[in-house]
Amino acid sequence: MNPELNLSRSLNGVTILEIGDQMGDYASMLLAGLGAEVIKLEPREGSPSRGIGPFASDTRDREQSLYFWRYNLNKKSAVLDVDAPESPPKLAALASKADIVLLAGEYEIVARRLELWRKLAEENPRLIVCTITPFGLDGPQRALKTSDLVQMALGGIMAVCGYDPNKDGVYDTPPIAPAMWHSYHLGGEYAAVAMMAALNFRELSGEGQFIDVSVHEAVNTCTEVAIPTWVYSGLVVKRQTARHAAPNITHARLSRSSDGIFMLASLSPFEREMRALGQLADEVGIAHVLGTPEFAQLEKEDHVAAAIYRQDLLEQLVESLPADELFHRAQKVGLAWSPIRRPEQNLDDPHFAARGSFATIHHEDLGRDLKYPGTVASDGSAPHFSYTRRAPRLGEHTDEVMERAFTR
Amino acid sequence: MGDGNSNGRRALEGVRVLDLTWLQVGPQATRLLATFGAQVIRIEWREHKAVDFIRYVPPFAPDHANKDGGRSQGLTPRGRGIKGNYDRAGYFNNTNPGKYGVTLNLNHPKGRDLLRRMVRDANVICENFSPGQMDKWGLGYADLRKLNPRIIYIQTTGVGKAGTYKDYVSYGPTAQAFSGLTFLSGLPEPRPPAGWGYSYLDHSPGYFGAIMLMAAIRRQRLSGVGCYIDMSQSETGLMLSGTSMLEHQLTGKPTERYGNRMPYLDWSPHGAYRCAGDDNWIALSIQSEPQWRALVEEMGSPAWVRDARFATSASRKQHEDELDANITEYTRGCERYELMNRLQARGIPAGVVQKAPDRFDNDPQLKARGYYVDLPHSDIGTWPIEGFPAKLSGSPANIGGQTHRASPKLGEDNEFVYGKLVGLSDEEIASLREEQVI
Repeated sequence: MNPELNLSRSLNGVTILEIGDQMGDYASMLLAGLGAEVIKLEPREGSPSRGIGPFASDTRDREQSLYFWRYNLNKKSAVLDVDAPESPPKLAALASKADIVLLAGEYEIVARRLELWRKLAEENPRLIVCTITPFGLDGPQRALKTSDLVQMALGGIMAVCGYDPNKDGVYDTPPIAPAMWHSYHLGGEYAAVAMMAALNFRELSGEGQFIDVSVHEAVNTCTEVAIPTWVYSGLVVKRQTARHAAPNITHARLSRSSDGIFMLASLSPFEREMRALGQLADEVGIAHVLGTPEFAQLEKEDHVAAAIYRQDLLEQLVESLPADELFHRAQKVGLAWSPIRRPEQNLDDPHFAARGSFATIHHEDLGRDLKYPGTVASDGSAPHFSYTRRAPRLGEHTDEVMERAFTR
Repeated sequence: MGDGNSNGRRALEGVRVLDLTWLQVGPQATRLLATFGAQVIRIEWREHKAVDFIRYVPPFAPDHANKDGGRSQGLTPRGRGIKGNYDRAGYFNNTNPGKYGVTLNLNHPKGRDLLRRMVRDANVICENFSPGQMDKWGLGYADLRKLNPRIIYIQTTGVGKAGTYKDYVSYGPTAQAFSGLTFLSGLPEPRPPAGWGYSYLDHSPGYFGAIMLMAAIRRQRLSGVGCYIDMSQSETGLMLSGTSMLEHQLTGKPTERYGNRMPYLDWSPHGAYRCAGDDNWIALSIQSEPQWRALVEEMGSPAWVRDARFATSASRKQHEDELDANITEYTRGCERYELMNRLQARGIPAGVVQKAPDRFDNDPQLKARGYYVDLPHSDIGTWPIEGFPAKLSGSPANIGGQTHRASPKLGEDNEFVYGKLVGLSDEEIASLREEQVI
């Protein structure tokens, strides 16, 4: 394969300066995976995300944060207190050789830092300055105090995730924010989209620009039918256990395989899936009436009863086989079923191994390799994101970065 | 950012995208390309089973809504969709703004020839058919590359076209279950996972698709090369599983769920607390001792806070069940927004668990930023469409794209695309229509 075809090097030559907190880690790591050089400018005590656990050791050592490891692959770290009065000339030197500056964090901090970057952008009109803040740089609530949980609440994802109400329709359990920092994921993905758009625009116009990403809006974009259901029909979707929120409570239930694993097993309203359900029941040896004239009659007369029959049959099937066997047999007949796996069950899965989905990263301190999820695509010879270097130690590249900034 | 005229300041000016995708994940990626000015041509076929399924899922515009009206005509009676009419679905309208719409029958040899002709002048082709379908038609990457070596070809499937499970079928929820995202969401075992109330992995992979396509487009502009991208929703799920797999590799322990709590920082209380009214909640995220003291003050310094169990953040974290029960005693009597405002005024991270009406009708921040964008549709009139979550000063996001419209009707732009862009004569178009090709 022509090495030129490897998309994971397509941002070679693009330099990004990253300044700020955990809201920016992921966005710049995505572009680093496409070949950009990302230099993280950190204060002496390290970026705030070095304080987020879990930690690789019992001490909360800033070099041992798994959060920092996860979201800072392929990057370089230089210690520079960007807020110190003597720093602007250094930042100007760095900016003159940079393509993108990413500022992430709370509104007050980012707005204050942005003043300098507005001046530096005048000197380097090709510079792209991207901010990621909780609510954007303007608007009455731009300075609200926040966290991933608060963003997931205000942004609407929480309201559609959680458990079924009780028999009286009352919710005994709270809405749930799915774990693992998804407001930062969403803000980061959209920031990466916007930065890619700005790089494309610069190729046409020669101009840089300012990008103002709002994490609140990013979360808001990602609630599927919740807004359209309200906008078009005036109905509010209700959260339900491990299935789609909908204006009414649907009758599907979460069931366990014979070895006790919860299964994602559902039917979409496609003829081929109805047939596949009957086929799987036949193969497993469970008697049923799918495909008979009686069932066709029931379907015609009482659509809901027919759906409940199919759901009952589906549950019987799920309970009759161990999860792994069920997964492969259901898939063989074309049913989109899967066990609800723990993430780590994928580490040794042959499918992901064959696709090169994990990057193997060496940690010399640990004397071992760790596998990191490292791409979302494959072209048969190379992944489209490529990660080869562990997250940097604090200041690991300070000399290199500063020397280069001051040499022509 | 409105449907404001982008004055030619489009990041993807001159980029033509042939969009053969359907459902959510593919159309999400091309939605973003259209937002930045690409000419996106949505290609569908009019047979019921070939039409994008999203065209016949609710919600629908009310039956009385017409092209001169829209939401302003009112929401009652509730729209049911008109049988056989694919042009009234609200979610489709929200997913496909700014795109052109044509019909093309790929099961007809002349339909495939017409697509080949279009590929010659296109920059990008997107599809999410079952793996292998395009190859069967002679329209796979190897075939199309011969016609246009610069073409960027992206295919998005649940598990990917390559790999051990390449023939497996998957929707967003399947990929969520498989990759581990479903497991991660919810209260600790023995409770089941709560999972996601929608197909998260029909959305994030769309954003990834746009990122990769824009990287590929930039490279195509600079060096003239194309590429093939075999993208999978499940791998996107792995990317989004946070630190769970690293922690497992280091400790050997199985991943556990922790509800709305925060095991990775010394933050407590941390969760959703019931407020006055029907299923109303507020999220609190106490991150420091001053914030805790401010919360105590706001609650009127009740006696229970002096209990040794709640003296330090570490001890509060050890007794989170009791802590949450005590806090709920306070919050359950409070109006949720008043409480949020009082807490925020004291510098406490607090936010209402907002439902759709809260976010659409009342969110002052979304309003001030102009997040929802009104766009016209040729049959159902003007409706608000969800916007792009960033402001760009040089090449603004423009949800209405090149069409200045919400979604296209099925085949709405056949004349424009096949006539103006492809260069067919009126007679040729008429005859293709007669032959059931377009």
